[in-house]
Amino acid sequence: MGNKQTTFTDEQLEAYQDCTFFTCKEILRLHSRYRELAPHLVPLDYTNNPDIKVPLTLIITMPELKENPFRERIVETFSEDGQGNLSFNDFVDMFSALCETSPRELKTIYAFKIYDFNRDNFICKEDLQKTLNKLTKGELTPEEVALVCDKAIEEADLDGDSKLSFSDFENMISKAPDFLSNFHIRI
Amino acid sequence: MASDPQKQGSGKLYDYTEGNGYPGDQQALRLRRISSPASSQNYPQFNWSSAPSEEDENGNSEPHRDLRSAPLPMALKRAIRQVQQMHVPVVSSVESWKRKKTKSLHKLKDNARGFLTLWNKSLQKIGGNFGGGVQSYFLFLRFLVVLNFVSFLLIAGFVLIPNIVFRSDGTSLANSTGPEKCMEYDPNPQGLVVFYKYFLDLLSGTGFMEYSYLFYGYYNNTLGEDRNFSYNIPLAYLFTVVFYFIFCLICIIARMGTAARVAVATGGSTVANYSMIVFTGWDYGCLGGKATKLKQNNIHYRLQVDLEEERIKKQAAALTSCQKVVLYSLRVLMFLISCGLIGAAFYCIFLATNFSQQRSGEQGILGLIFEYLPSIVITAGNFLVPLLCDQIALIERYAPSTTVIMALLRAVFLRLVSLGALLFTLWRQITCEGHTDSGACELCQYNHEVYPCWETRVGQEMYKLTLFDFLINVAVLVLVEFPRRMVVDNWPSKLAQWVGRQEFVVPYNVLSLVYGQTVVWTGALFCPLLPLINTIKFVILFYCKKITLFYNCRPALKTFRSTTSAFFFLVVLLFGWILATAVMIYSLAEIRPSMGCGPFRFLSNIWSIVPTSFYSLSTTTQEFLFFIGSQAFTIPLFVLSCVVMCYFIALASVYGKNVALLRAQLKLEGRDKQFLVKQIAELSRQLQIPKHNGVQDCR
Repeated sequence: MGNKQTTFTDEQLEAYQDCTFFTCKEILRLHSRYRELAPHLVPLDYTNNPDIKVPLTLIITMPELKENPFRERIVETFSEDGQGNLSFNDFVDMFSALCETSPRELKTIYAFKIYDFNRDNFICKEDLQKTLNKLTKGELTPEEVALVCDKAIEEADLDGDSKLSFSDFENMISKAPDFLSNFHIRI
Repeated sequence: MASDPQKQGSGKLYDYTEGNGYPGDQQALRLRRISSPASSQNYPQFNWSSAPSEEDENGNSEPHRDLRSAPLPMALKRAIRQVQQMHVPVVSSVESWKRKKTKSLHKLKDNARGFLTLWNKSLQKIGGNFGGGVQSYFLFLRFLVVLNFVSFLLIAGFVLIPNIVFRSDGTSLANSTGPEKCMEYDPNPQGLVVFYKYFLDLLSGTGFMEYSYLFYGYYNNTLGEDRNFSYNIPLAYLFTVVFYFIFCLICIIARMGTAARVAVATGGSTVANYSMIVFTGWDYGCLGGKATKLKQNNIHYRLQVDLEEERIKKQAAALTSCQKVVLYSLRVLMFLISCGLIGAAFYCIFLATNFSQQRSGEQGILGLIFEYLPSIVITAGNFLVPLLCDQIALIERYAPSTTVIMALLRAVFLRLVSLGALLFTLWRQITCEGHTDSGACELCQYNHEVYPCWETRVGQEMYKLTLFDFLINVAVLVLVEFPRRMVVDNWPSKLAQWVGRQEFVVPYNVLSLVYGQTVVWTGALFCPLLPLINTIKFVILFYCKKITLFYNCRPALKTFRSTTSAFFFLVVLLFGWILATAVMIYSLAEIRPSMGCGPFRFLSNIWSIVPTSFYSLSTTTQEFLFFIGSQAFTIPLFVLSCVVMCYFIALASVYGKNVALLRAQLKLEGRDKQFLVKQIAELSRQLQIPKHNGVQDCR
């Protein structure tokens, strides 16, 4: 806990430490990264909790997110208004949920939300097709895309409604050995 | 639909229900925000009524932990935290000090765990940049380093240190009986020694290194005595080696247990391929354009492989019987050709070892090359034969994953057969081709002219193999991989781009580790310090491979889950262990120990030290051990272990049936739900139509 910094009060830093998987130093570093995105918008002094939001277009320019095919979905999932504008709270929340020490259950919940494009709490065939297209950037033919989507739903759907609910998704993820190491952004 | 992501024991702090757009009256915080369908669907509801009421001390650090894992927005978490803090009653300073101490103790424990596990940070970095497959190789390497180091401590404690302590004193255990010629053994060099000979001796284990703690020949067959404590050195040597083998087996099986659990939970490599690739294939930690492009190609390739396998299966099912016969006969032919290749390698190693033993007296660099000839031929064979087998595999036209597994099994077999060939040749020369009563072996039951101390000779061969393997690895790194990367990066030509950067192929690297470990196990009886040498070798190898990985390699385009699994590596390691155990048992039981050196001289075989020492124990111990070895004890024990095994098999099948039943039940429930939803829709339609008519009439 640095005594010389004036960005946060000690109480705020403790609150952040308890609510995320980051230490004090990392939270301060995150704040400087957040400020780098929009230096005119984000104040240096956060002691009175200003209500500032950085827009989606600036956040996806971050090097950690720039190459990720799901960058817009990730930012939208963690934003309060659902449009992708992140306050500092949401920013820290996003990187905390995706960090190394974040538990599997939390990551599964957020992964489900990210892949659920139309936000109906189900991953239906269209969501899957959008996911696949973003993954392979159009290198598969439409027949192959349809085949893969059909097979994926067939494999994971347990209750037979031809779309994936959260429990289907969770069950499938529990069998995936490299989910934890892949679903992880280092900042 | 409610789902509970917390663990059971931490106490329920809140309920997590998936948001369906129903703002309850508990949503004091949420009403402040702009209510849009998107936002209320984004986050789950929070149940304020179930605030924590327990005030026990160990429960207090848990709420903070659970808050971090809660899938709630940050502002809500901070509000919850404030409420929790208000709930915490005013405590005395002692209580709060205790709480602070437990919190810092938890943090310290977490830090210590991260610190004591060797190379944790490096492994995380490797996993993040190159994926789970490459990381599994390094995890396997770390396991072998720890295994070798602990084995070395075992051997040092029970063999090395007592020998150093009881070196000068101690009574000889057996009388010196035996033909004079058999006991002639003089490893110390005569006269002036040229300086560079020390270097050659270091590389081949001869000269000043031969009569040292490194090899079997230096150890005495004495009974170390010190006041009222006696230490039977030969017995300790034998039991330590046997215990070392058993210890390694237990470690491998324990680790296989954890790996098997993961393999069973993930359902093997063929289940849920597509969904897993789509949802967990992308590495979110990928940075930079190149890594991203590679990852995309990797996912594309994996999907294509699966689609290709489907296509091949369909094709294979559609073959006419005539085509099938042709294909199967081709496969049998290719199998025979690959066996022939392995047999040819065996023969070459046999010739090379014979030649090397005949010319073993040569001096200088030429002598060194002749000494290393078996190792050179083995390494060349291990490089060439898999290349040829890859060409054969093209004709066989198996499915891609089967092809990879076949290639790996062939490579494993080749490596173990090469080692076996070397040992077979040595055995032929030591025991005069098995006829220990004729020719040169008549006097001492082993070839005392060529091998005055045959155990040390075998130990030297294993030492040379280990050293050569290490030197080749480092040489390939320096002379092939670094220049290749420099050429590819700095010479912009089509050829360079086509060759491309080195790919880190996990399975072949793992095979080389398994081969090195098998050599160490085979040589442990004859060269007790070999585990220590191997530990140092593997540690250096870890750093070298890490450096080459980051500077020279690109991630492998072709990844197959089954071949990068920890379980597969351990199974292959077990094969190596079985070979080494077979060699050890044969050496213990069948071949007569050298009379000129070692702790087992003048015994008819190494194992006979046990009966000899057995009769010096007290009568009660003897009777107890006789009882354990008798049928009255072993048969009931055998029956009991059969019963226990049957119980576990029955339990496993019951669990399997349970899982299948539950899955079927889940499907049924889903269909019930759909049926009910349809019913509700129909009913509501029926209720609405009369209302609609009524409204129309009113107008």
